[in-house]
Amino acid sequence: MVAAPFEYARVGSYDDAVQALSAYDEDAKLLAGGQSLVPMLNLRLVRPTVLIDINGADARAPHLADGELVLPALTRHVRLTTDPVVSGHAPLLSAAVRYVGNVRVRNRGTIGGSLAHADPTGELSCAALALGASVIVYGPEGARVIPAGELFTGFLGTQLAPQEVIGEVRVPAWRPPYGWSFQEVARRASDFAVVAVAASVQADPGRGLIRQARVGLAGVADRVVLADESAVGSLVGTRPTDAELAGVARAVAEATSPDSDVHASGAYRKRLVAVLTRRALAEAISRADEAEAA
Amino acid sequence: MSAEQNGSEPGRSRALVTLTVNGAEREAWVEPGDLLLDVLHDEFGLGEVRYGCGEGVCGTCTVLVDGEPVSACLMLAVQAEGHAVTTLSALSGARDELHPLQQAFLRLGGSQCGFCTPGVILTAYALAQRFEARGSEARAPEARAPEARAPEARGSGAPTRDEIRYELVGNLCRCTGYTKILDAIESYLAEGPEGSR
Amino acid sequence: MTSPPTEAVPTEAVPTETQPTETQPTETQPTETQPTKTQPTEPRLAPVAPMRVVGQRVSHHDFVDKVKGSLHYAADWQLPGMLYGRVVRSLVPSARIVSIDTAQAQAMRGVAAVLTGADVPRNSLVERASGGLGELLVPMPILAADRVRYVGEPVAVVAAVTQQIADEAAELVAVEYEELPGLFDMEAALEPDAPRVHDEGNVLVNWHIARGDVDAAMAAADVVVEGTYRTQHVEHAYLEPEAGVGWMDHDVVTVRASTQVIEHAAEIAEILDLPANKVRVIAAYMGGGFGGKEDMTVEPFIALLVWKTGRPVRMIWDRQESMLASTKRHPFLMRYRTGARDDGRIVAQDIDLLGDAGAYPYLSARILFAGAALSCGPYQVPNVRVRARPVFTNNVPTSAFRGFGAMQVTFGYESQMDRVAAALGLDRGEVRRRNFLRKGDLIPTGETLDTVVAVDETLRRALAALGEPSPPSAPGRLVGRGFACNMQPYGRTIWFRDRASAWLTLQADGTLLIRSGVTDLGAGQAASLCQIASEMLGVPLGDISVYIGDTALTPPAGGTFATRQLYMSGNAVLNAARDLRANLDPVAADLLGCPAGELNYSGGLVRAGDSADAKGVSLAELARACDAQAVELSCLSTWRAQAGTFDPATGQGGSFPDYTYGTHAAEVEVDPETGEVRVLRYVASHDVGAAINPMRVEGQIQGGAMQGLGYALTEEIVLEDGLTASSLFSSYFIPTSLDMPDVQVEIVESGEGKGPLNARGIGEPPLGPVAPAIASAIADATGCRPTRLPMTAERILALLDEQAGRP
Repeated sequence: MVAAPFEYARVGSYDDAVQALSAYDEDAKLLAGGQSLVPMLNLRLVRPTVLIDINGADARAPHLADGELVLPALTRHVRLTTDPVVSGHAPLLSAAVRYVGNVRVRNRGTIGGSLAHADPTGELSCAALALGASVIVYGPEGARVIPAGELFTGFLGTQLAPQEVIGEVRVPAWRPPYGWSFQEVARRASDFAVVAVAASVQADPGRGLIRQARVGLAGVADRVVLADESAVGSLVGTRPTDAELAGVARAVAEATSPDSDVHASGAYRKRLVAVLTRRALAEAISRADEAEAA
Repeated sequence: MSAEQNGSEPGRSRALVTLTVNGAEREAWVEPGDLLLDVLHDEFGLGEVRYGCGEGVCGTCTVLVDGEPVSACLMLAVQAEGHAVTTLSALSGARDELHPLQQAFLRLGGSQCGFCTPGVILTAYALAQRFEARGSEARAPEARAPEARAPEARGSGAPTRDEIRYELVGNLCRCTGYTKILDAIESYLAEGPEGSR
Repeated sequence: MTSPPTEAVPTEAVPTETQPTETQPTETQPTETQPTKTQPTEPRLAPVAPMRVVGQRVSHHDFVDKVKGSLHYAADWQLPGMLYGRVVRSLVPSARIVSIDTAQAQAMRGVAAVLTGADVPRNSLVERASGGLGELLVPMPILAADRVRYVGEPVAVVAAVTQQIADEAAELVAVEYEELPGLFDMEAALEPDAPRVHDEGNVLVNWHIARGDVDAAMAAADVVVEGTYRTQHVEHAYLEPEAGVGWMDHDVVTVRASTQVIEHAAEIAEILDLPANKVRVIAAYMGGGFGGKEDMTVEPFIALLVWKTGRPVRMIWDRQESMLASTKRHPFLMRYRTGARDDGRIVAQDIDLLGDAGAYPYLSARILFAGAALSCGPYQVPNVRVRARPVFTNNVPTSAFRGFGAMQVTFGYESQMDRVAAALGLDRGEVRRRNFLRKGDLIPTGETLDTVVAVDETLRRALAALGEPSPPSAPGRLVGRGFACNMQPYGRTIWFRDRASAWLTLQADGTLLIRSGVTDLGAGQAASLCQIASEMLGVPLGDISVYIGDTALTPPAGGTFATRQLYMSGNAVLNAARDLRANLDPVAADLLGCPAGELNYSGGLVRAGDSADAKGVSLAELARACDAQAVELSCLSTWRAQAGTFDPATGQGGSFPDYTYGTHAAEVEVDPETGEVRVLRYVASHDVGAAINPMRVEGQIQGGAMQGLGYALTEEIVLEDGLTASSLFSSYFIPTSLDMPDVQVEIVESGEGKGPLNARGIGEPPLGPVAPAIASAIADATGCRPTRLPMTAERILALLDEQAGRP
């Protein structure tokens, strides 16, 4: 099938991108990596009249600023595995991205595009939640900050206005001792997640007690979600036993109500949440311990 | 980029783009929606770049853009302007002889129906180039831009069989069961950069 | 043996199908002329003595073009003024067509034709799949005119100057449907008040195979094991979607398509109401077929558009279109009752097979017959009753898929063998060994096996190769081992008096032309013919050109299916080569002054004996000498398979010419918390009689095992009320490079087989054992036996829950 015809415009900056979006309004779509958009064009699932190519809008590399990891939205997925700045400051992202697609998808796909696409099974979105990341969004009124937890509003939906574009992803520093884990069950190697869990854990130096924990879940709702915060929060200030971890994981699962689809039933997804959350937390705590010992 | 109405169809603007394919510059009139896949296959007659799914899933249409594998079905032709596009025929020598990687595939049975072969070989070739670059980087560690063929964060040495599997996970094959594909790639990597290239 | 009329090489722009540009050097070995027999030789398990070319791991001909990327597949073809086609398909599974409005589509600029059923001269095909053995004769339209019976059924077809315009015009064809009740479940199809998919009835055919007295034997059995097994719709998922290009060549409708069967040219002629000589079909080398290109796919639509517009037309099906509407594998519902004695000997099998034929017959009748005939597997069963019925539903039509019914039943009979062993407390392998068929035994159809049965050797090799058990990769994981044996026919059902022809021509310079109607799926169908001819005539592989798959220019070889081509066309080439040798030998013997029996043909020479310094002449000299004596250098030979008949009333008679036996063994690890199954080790062993090319044999086995793995664990076309849950390729899980470890292949060469040089077919056999081997391993690991495919993680977890008494 051939896409419905559209015009094409290339912009060299986010200002130009916002202007172009405002000019073309509802009929325009942004083209970054194209790994999610172009299949939909090819299948005629979307029929924009204009495509605005923003690949040239930002040539910066990932870098640190004010204690945060700044990821330009156009950072390609492959960069998240190869750049020591990323793997040093957000290893959870480097781990999560290895589950994203394949080498071709990772060469072109961008983190901004992934978040904007808002796939409820998206590994990077899930990791962003667990990391407490935020996005910097540019629009006609200027820039604004949206925490990842507030970005996703529904199935393939974000709170971005039609003229807005994600420009940066910011990941706060998780001070050591820090541990992380990414767990996923998929129907086949490299496929989209049935359920994925991303865990980020910071411990108290010297005492091994958990100081902060965040868990992101993918595949359990119409969007990626943070695991039930009271359940996860109950870990703070404790050194959980295996049984306690299992209990927290069960509570996290109980707080979800996943739907069934052709790939898995809701009940099965719920089971996976309990198992993967327990494993993710256990691995993250174990990594924090190793970081402490190192 | 200028759009010129050339009267073919109302509302469809065509532009003349220059693509660098296998080292040679080639021109084509393209509409914005024309995929790199279709321009390479239909316009330039490069039959080795093939339609398999249109979703970027199967890997059949894999080409190298600036040395890295991409799905030609997910890239607009206009996006390829200013970049180096490489298809499988670039690997054959000046007298059409087989590249050692192709020889390995032939010798070890890495191709049955052959439809996935160009995508598989290009992906393997890019992998080999990346590790060769990492090898020379280890020998001469001057600062290199991380984008350019950056290696996976791992120790040095040729990729393991499992790493090759991971690299190829997006190249679907329905005929071989992958074993002989992996054999061919391992064999090629074992020959080393000083092999008959 | 007839001499074909001398014919000039055609001058139209049809490129040679293959130009061998590079060959691997073949090792020169001391020659041992294999007795050129086509009757099975004495059984032996030792490998066949090495030949010079046959038996070598050579890569040549089309494989060279494939690694270069220069092979022209069906879509790699452009002609001036070419149009682009698109089929318009039904969106509903069961409906009356009220109206089809093509006005808007036709009015679009750039549209050359919009055709509906009214434009098809004979809009009806009747598949006579079983050759008149009692199946319903149900017509199928090319373009549905009054009723649609499945989602995706073609109702119109468009041709336009660009694909984009064709796609847009297709969307403008307005079809008004009045929906009718639909039937989507096989068992519901049997109900007396079920909606009728076809007026003729819902049961396409009712096969019976019967021997002995099943009821008495069951009553006397020490144990009776019952099992019900369900398998799913799966898609061939060849990487090359259905495609072709057609054009008018003078007044001949010519279609070059990715197809396994060029003989469909006759149906195209029928559809267009043309004489048969006005249609030509050329088979491009396929990017995979697996049975999905055995029925017509793009051919009738291209032919219609070409014939109507007079212009060349290209049609490539979208992947999603192919996922939605192309034929699938039959889901089977299998009910087994197996009676056995305490010592493990099987005394009776009572089997009921139900297959979902979908909306139209296609090859369903034959597939259910093959399932029925093979439903007991490679075991002696003195008392058998099998009933097999394909039923219509408003689901996507099902037809040929590598394994063809005999594959699905492997899951049934092997699961039963495991269960019998468990019920009797016997070792799984021992139960099988006590029941394995042997040469000379009767099989359920009443036929006698006339080639050696080496299944026990394959079992021994597979289990031995599995090696030491692997430890679990993490605490709590469960590791288990399983295996399965199978029997798969090669060669077509013998009612069809199958035949294949091949035409060999030795040229004046000693090079060779092979012309064969064979079509090439990617498994070396064409290349194998070159290997055989090279062995027989001593022409180096690089000096052979092979031309295939053209109804106008190559002698008919029948389609590439039923694992028949090596058996049929291989024998045809072998015979043609022997005929040619019979012409060459006297001339050569005379030239060299030696007895004909001492002649050695190899390396482009014919020599008087095996020793290195024997006197010899080049094949070119020999050709010249023949020509001078008016000895024919061009031989066409037709190989005819044995024929037979089946009596549907008695359930006894002829079925298949021979079988390939094998065993697969697997080690898996189950994660009992998620249900995920990971294959740790996998071994596949088959008796191929004699391996023409061991590397290609391995490739077939490894690829077949991988397809079987997808069938076992991950692949399913999910249909609900006739609608597919997803037609995206990303939603259909064929195995990737990370989904299975390397398949270790153990080739057994018993030396007996009905193919050329004692070979047996290997295309289909490797699929059947995979699912039951893995099910057996899962049962070993967990104590739970899956009875439904695919064995997804969710289903395994549910079985574990059931076993543990969890809700």
